[in-house]
Amino acid sequence: MVFKRQGEVVRVSQTSIFQNANLVRYLELLQVLVSRNLKVRYRGSFLGIYWSLLNPLLMTAAYTTLFGMAFLRYYDNSLVKYMLEVFVGLVVINFFSASTSQALTSVVCNGGLLNKIRLPVNVFPLSMIAANVFQFVCGSLPFLVIAALVTSESLINVLALIVPLLSLVCFCAGVGLIVSALFVFFRDLPYFYELVVTLIWFSSPIFYPIDIVPANIRPFLALNPLISIIGSIRQIALSGELPDISLIGTSLLTSCVVLAVGCKLFYNWRSQFMDLL
Amino acid sequence: MQAICLEQVSLWRRTQEEFSYDLKKTILSILEGKYHKPIKKLVLDRVDLTIAAGEKVGIIGVNGSGKSTLLKVICGIFQPTKGQVKVWGKIAPMIELEAGFDPELTIWDNIILYGVMLGFSQKEMQQRINSILAFAELEEYVSIPLKALSSGMVARLGFAIATDVEPDILILDEVLAVGDERFKNKCKQRLKNFWDANATVLLVSHDLNLVEQFCDRVIWLDRGKIKYIGSAYEAIDYYRDMVNLTVSLR
Repeated sequence: MVFKRQGEVVRVSQTSIFQNANLVRYLELLQVLVSRNLKVRYRGSFLGIYWSLLNPLLMTAAYTTLFGMAFLRYYDNSLVKYMLEVFVGLVVINFFSASTSQALTSVVCNGGLLNKIRLPVNVFPLSMIAANVFQFVCGSLPFLVIAALVTSESLINVLALIVPLLSLVCFCAGVGLIVSALFVFFRDLPYFYELVVTLIWFSSPIFYPIDIVPANIRPFLALNPLISIIGSIRQIALSGELPDISLIGTSLLTSCVVLAVGCKLFYNWRSQFMDLL
Repeated sequence: MQAICLEQVSLWRRTQEEFSYDLKKTILSILEGKYHKPIKKLVLDRVDLTIAAGEKVGIIGVNGSGKSTLLKVICGIFQPTKGQVKVWGKIAPMIELEAGFDPELTIWDNIILYGVMLGFSQKEMQQRINSILAFAELEEYVSIPLKALSSGMVARLGFAIATDVEPDILILDEVLAVGDERFKNKCKQRLKNFWDANATVLLVSHDLNLVEQFCDRVIWLDRGKIKYIGSAYEAIDYYRDMVNLTVSLR
């Protein structure tokens, strides 16, 4: 069996029986890297995952106390509604900032390893995203599912939640691939990326209603793909109405574009990585 | 039967000075009009090489002549800029073995992690775990984090994992002598078994006696080019003459 890679190196393997041996190996690798990541992070205590909920819960409490009353009229005069919307927004934005920031350093951190063993490089940023997905599924997802069930009393909404969440993962994976590749070339990137994340944070209507943004500025906010994702998740989990297909579609489309661009850039730059690691 | 075949392999790499690049400097240098494309250096120059299965090949040359780079190209770590590399069979690279370990994880988890990175399945590694621990003599440490081990123990573990498999091609960058005197002998015995079995071996070493003793064929690399390739005795003789000549000229 012959595997052709980048047209230059040919590996002839006699041992692999399966046609998809490469894919199987990739998934095994992803699995051990994710489990390493989670084990190091939580040191064997499963409850550690719930520790990650501490941040959005505390922040929700803080925003509700500080701004809840001021924005009340935008939320049907319901403090609970404000609280829930803030919480959902925080959970999404936290997932984005944590997963992409961890992905950013992943290729460079494993540079020593990449110099010793032949490994698919993109497995490192993607394993960071995957570890965060696992954490999200155990920590925040049950909350979203319960919220969707209670407000809409319909399984359709629960199932529809999968699509914007998938968009979120694709978006973060795309951004993660781009920043992890850029970090190989620009080692001062974390500083700039932190700025970008803060900008995205403030341009996403998390603790404020989008209506307070001046109408002539609002179109610019559309450039931030997280807004449609947050909007879609809120609409499905909190509004109690049937899922809004156009919101879901926008979020899915933009995140797929970001993922495709991320894959393409990563692949193009990949050949230069080894000179700099 | 062939094990490794290189056709006109050339590799260009960025020079070391370019390593500390940052965004701020790049943007400023573009603004000041001082930006230039990174300089590249030829580290392997049209290398042609065919190694038959079961052959023991030594690679010699002065520091920076491209020996380790050649091994990395064969392992698939570096993509050649030009030319083609063909490899038949499973390679066990034994270049600084501790690279794949995570100090926070237990020995058990580390063995699985390392094995999967080397290309084995988790299932396979679970079956191998006992023989690996037995060889490394670390059975009672299974559930202890790696950081609790001494550096000698870690090296022993690395050697045990990398050699527990039966590779078709074994790559040795400098001779592995890990752990205490007794363990060194154990390592040597295991390597000797590979030698006697029909594994293809590539050995990089500055110990010319060792190369002469164990290798059938020797490649002498000089500034990325194959300067001489032939029987161990001839190549080493030629190499020694040249080294002595340059020393006496100084």
